[in-house]
Amino acid sequence: MSSSAEDYNEYFRVLELCSDASFSDVRNSYLHLKALYSGDSIATANIPDEFPEGTRQNILGQIEDAYSKLVGFFEKRGRESGCKDRPAITFDDEFKEYLAGMTSFNGPLLRQIREKLGIKLSDIASYTRIRKQYFEEIELEKFSSFPAEVYLRGYLTEYAGYLSLDVSRVVSDYMNRYRLLTGK
Amino acid sequence: MDNGRDREKRCEIWAIGGGKGGTGKSFITSCIGDYLASEGKKVILIDADLGGANLHTFFGVSKPQNSLTDFFERKLSLNDIVIDCGIPDLGLVTGALGSLDSENIKHVQKLKFFKHIKSLDAEYVIIDLGAGSHGNTMDTFMLADKMIVVIVPELTSIENMYHFVKNVFFRKLKIVLDRHGLKDLFLETWKNRESHGIKNLNDLVSHLKEGSVDVRSIFDKEMSGFRIDIVLNQLRSSRDIMLGLSVKSVCMKFLGFHARYAGYVEHEESVLKCINKRQPFMRTYPYSNVVKEIGRLSDNLIEGKEVKTSEFVCRRL
Ligand SMILES: Nc1ncnc2c1ncn2[C@@H]1O[C@H](COP(=O)(O)OP(=O)(O)O)[C@@H](O)[C@H]1O
Ligand SMILES: [Mg+2]
Repeated sequence: MSSSAEDYNEYFRVLELCSDASFSDVRNSYLHLKALYSGDSIATANIPDEFPEGTRQNILGQIEDAYSKLVGFFEKRGRESGCKDRPAITFDDEFKEYLAGMTSFNGPLLRQIREKLGIKLSDIASYTRIRKQYFEEIELEKFSSFPAEVYLRGYLTEYAGYLSLDVSRVVSDYMNRYRLLTGK
Repeated sequence: MDNGRDREKRCEIWAIGGGKGGTGKSFITSCIGDYLASEGKKVILIDADLGGANLHTFFGVSKPQNSLTDFFERKLSLNDIVIDCGIPDLGLVTGALGSLDSENIKHVQKLKFFKHIKSLDAEYVIIDLGAGSHGNTMDTFMLADKMIVVIVPELTSIENMYHFVKNVFFRKLKIVLDRHGLKDLFLETWKNRESHGIKNLNDLVSHLKEGSVDVRSIFDKEMSGFRIDIVLNQLRSSRDIMLGLSVKSVCMKFLGFHARYAGYVEHEESVLKCINKRQPFMRTYPYSNVVKEIGRLSDNLIEGKEVKTSEFVCRRL
């Protein structure tokens, strides 16, 4: 027991958090660190002695690992304390067909799907603890308020997961469209 | 441990440095001092920028009656040259105007200076440091209970800050190991760093720790508390708020020391207006964002807390 508790402390430490951090702290920190070490930042420029490529990759690996371990940690804790789960969504055949007919996921379509399922944005927001506005903006394809691409991707993943959609397909379609629209 | 009783009585010392000039060290010092005083704390500010002393100007004090010159040259005690800067509970030791540069301060004088700082009659002593990594500047920085750096969202400022803190860390490590008779080992290792595959401070520390149990325990006892508090000043957009977190991360993951992101202060045109009119900012624009941010930042510093991560993602300017 004590050794596994220590491991989690180490994962919190990698994400630069105290061990009493909430899951949304964990996610925010993960998204930030991932953006920081996979892109360019004035915080990482001009320290070549300390920042060789290999070390950077190493750190990114540690961050990924810590995050996935902590996701597991919070899921387990949520189950134990009987936390509010996301509603089980089952699609009937008609709906499956409707989804299968989609060629590509974009903001307005996601909104349509969500409304058909009778899910409110505020439900997703309170379950994921991400501000409702971000989901609104995903549906409206208004990207200016996302501090970095990884946040958009991170929130979209939560959104699609909540709706029980095929997360990787939704994310890849949507992000392609995002790059097209923003020229990135 | 054994001087625990003295520590309880003596003032808490904060030093504000960070390498580059013009980032707002003096402005931030003046504001934090004003905030703490208005919260009922007894505060003394020391202008230790011996090259470009101007902290008094932020309070509209034009010609200081006494300055550090009187301490270094006329042998007055530090307590006797604290002047009134027009704000209750806030005292000021003004810098030496031009006549002194830190090269001229002898070792004994420096020790006396530090001794006097510790015995100042105040709860908080905040020291405003000059730019650069001069030995005296670094020693004064290390003296503090809280080592605070002020940066702006600009590559050169961040670069200078890293450089400054790395130098301070190196100096402190050298002093600590010297005290344990290990200075030669330290210097020898650093001199031959290439043959040991040492590229940076982190490598140096790991190498020394691996090589000896003594070094490891010395390090754990005396260096593990080395921590800087980061203040990000002159923000122009909410996206920059996260930069403080990024810089903190680099300090911890790559440079090898603890860091906290204590707070940020946005850029406001009224700051310059106030300075030019010689008005104390905190009292002239009490409802500005800057005043609120200084309050949050100072509270974080007192409690050893940080900007909350929720602020990065949720807050929009
Ligand atoms: N938050 C701020 N908003 C606007 N201007 C600022 C702010 N902080 C500092 N400045 C400007 O930067 C200048 C330099 O500040 P100063 O405190 O003298 O820097 P330092 O002591 O680091 O050399 C000030 O004169 C002021 O005009
Ligand atoms: Mg200054």
